[in-house]
Amino acid sequence: MKDTSTPTGGTAQQGVPAGSRFSRRHLPWLAGFVALLLLPWATPNAYHHYILNIILINVILAVGLNIVKGFAGQVTVGHIALAAVGAYASAVFAAKFGLPFWVALPAATLFTGMIGALVGIPSFRLEGAYLALATLGLAESVRVFIGVTDYIGAAIGFSDIPPPYFFGRSVVDHVAYYYIVMPLALVGIYFSFCILRSDIGRSFKALREDPLAAAACGVNVRKYKLLAFTISALYAGCAGSLQAHMAPGFLHPNSYTITEMVTLLLMVVLGGLGHIWGGVVGAVIVTIIYDLTRDYYQYQMAIFGTVIVLTVLYMPRGIGGLIDNYFATRRFVAIRKAKANAA
Amino acid sequence: MRILSVGKCLLFASAMVLALSVVPGSASAQGTVRIGVTLRMLIENGFKYGQMTADELNEVNKSGGINGQKIEVILLDDECKPDKGVANANRFIHQNKVHLIIGSTCSSVTLPLVDIVTKEEVPEIVPHSTNSSITQKGSAWVFRTSVSERYYAAVHAKYLAENAGKKVAYLFTNDGAAISFVRDYKKYMQETYNVEPAYEAQMQETDLDFRAHLLKIKSLNPDVLAIGGQIDAIARIAQQSYEIGIPAKVRRVSASAASNAPVPELAGDAVKGLIFAAAFSCTDEREIAKKFVKMVQEKYKVRCPDHDFSQAYETAQIVKLALSKAKLKLTDASLAEDRKAIRDALASIQNYQGLASGPINFCADPTPQCRDGNRTGILVEYTKGGKDYEMRVLARVGFDPDFGLPKK
Repeated sequence: MKDTSTPTGGTAQQGVPAGSRFSRRHLPWLAGFVALLLLPWATPNAYHHYILNIILINVILAVGLNIVKGFAGQVTVGHIALAAVGAYASAVFAAKFGLPFWVALPAATLFTGMIGALVGIPSFRLEGAYLALATLGLAESVRVFIGVTDYIGAAIGFSDIPPPYFFGRSVVDHVAYYYIVMPLALVGIYFSFCILRSDIGRSFKALREDPLAAAACGVNVRKYKLLAFTISALYAGCAGSLQAHMAPGFLHPNSYTITEMVTLLLMVVLGGLGHIWGGVVGAVIVTIIYDLTRDYYQYQMAIFGTVIVLTVLYMPRGIGGLIDNYFATRRFVAIRKAKANAA
Repeated sequence: MRILSVGKCLLFASAMVLALSVVPGSASAQGTVRIGVTLRMLIENGFKYGQMTADELNEVNKSGGINGQKIEVILLDDECKPDKGVANANRFIHQNKVHLIIGSTCSSVTLPLVDIVTKEEVPEIVPHSTNSSITQKGSAWVFRTSVSERYYAAVHAKYLAENAGKKVAYLFTNDGAAISFVRDYKKYMQETYNVEPAYEAQMQETDLDFRAHLLKIKSLNPDVLAIGGQIDAIARIAQQSYEIGIPAKVRRVSASAASNAPVPELAGDAVKGLIFAAAFSCTDEREIAKKFVKMVQEKYKVRCPDHDFSQAYETAQIVKLALSKAKLKLTDASLAEDRKAIRDALASIQNYQGLASGPINFCADPTPQCRDGNRTGILVEYTKGGKDYEMRVLARVGFDPDFGLPKK
């Protein structure tokens, strides 16, 4: 399978100069990066900067979940446990072993990737609801393990996790932390874009549509399932590490329950399962809705539950699906118009 | 299919985030004292604890406020989850620009809040959390009206060692309060009597069947069965301990969560004889306590308010007292100054006599001696279970400020 597509979604055209192609590919990302660089200055106070960081961490988590669930079609409900693994691993590396954040973050990400590969093994034999049950079991096991392990704070919580240091200055301010989280989130989105547009992405899709047919076409089903879980876990590990080191540097197993997993699923489902921007759009919207409904805590979970049910019933492809439909229709109309004009 | 361009999607995401920025923050009305309350609301009576705190504070507005200054209370739920508590605190401090934070119920939420309020220099008063570490962090901005675990452990440990025996079996679930209860009890027994646990087992909060461990405990014939957990676990363990035949002469003791009304209601007669350390009993005969119990019964429809009610009420009264002492300007420019003035007013509260069995004293030093204001625990025993449960106070124990602190 030779990939001819670009990370911007367009198809590389013959005869287009290489420089122009490069610009087309990367200029929007650069523009997006510049826009995001300026974003903290457009938000009014430190609370919004804090929410921005939460949104971006959720974006990383949701984009990762979208890879395994949306792209590869593996029904996992254990993603939140992988975030917990990443968070606690990073906390241990930094607080117990004295490693700086800049080492703890990649180390925890890789460690979570390895755990993700282990989690992927049951997917060789399990599918659908059975795989969901296996991953749910894993998620609960991780939470329970954390809750009884004194070394990592058990049910009291893991406190005093050091913040990142940058040229000798601690990054405890939310704006400063944003400039660590934002580039990572953007790289994560770009990376997921690259995956989807590559051989790997096509194999994931084939796997999602029909594993048997994919195998018949020469796709190594086991390899790609394992890869999907591993890549997804890398995202979860990175997001977990970022959660751990954000002020006030405190972790607790209660932050990784089934409720958090459902919220994460909502992000991906609402954004659009398998839609390249689904995780991003879902994470942004759900985090903001969650924050805006904070005052109505009695009804918050009911609101979220209703949104999930309505989305699945009336918008099964999520917001991403709606956007796709809109552009597809617009393009179709344009083609018909062009043909009509030509006639 | 042509898909949405990166630029458009990033612009969409940016637009959504900007939407957040145009959401109006709570108006920071000048001349008003803003107080943020974060508690675990969605549990039995949880909402009522929060509502009572807010009602008590808002009540002063009817009579023109304190020193002519009105109070605005912002009440949020933290679900006993640190990340939610941290989000609430950030919102209180940066968006609502509160002058004071009250919270939280769970120690696992209060612990990270201490770091935030210390960094942002906002006074915080803790109504319910009992973990000893909260005041041992050395924050100049944190005060506590609930009784610290370092006192609670000794209240029941000393009584039981002298009246029941020193052979203790511990069965507890993996929640923070239960772990601390067992840890402090064991520590007290080891340090005071040099006695090791006869048996010790930890289970999950969601476990339903504790019989396997209880059978082992029965075979060891202990003097005391220490039950650590939240409401459901305490009720189940108490009930199952009788089902498998652990005799009534083995004294059952539990963490302060046993004071919550559902425990005797769920456990029925199995709760009879269960003892626990608490800060308040609804059977208190003092006039102030009777008046409080009557108020809660009428207003919040709770027959026997537990110590979480009394501590929430006490916290609101102490806050009002501090506000009456503080000289506040209450302008946007004076926010930091006002926060400091409230902190200093709280630190000046001495010999406050309220629902607690002893006086509440704060002082300026950022030490547990100064900031664990309530140093009197009571020992309570259930004398009847079921809906119309009854209890009696076995002992009232006051402590020195240094008690239970690590020796230097």
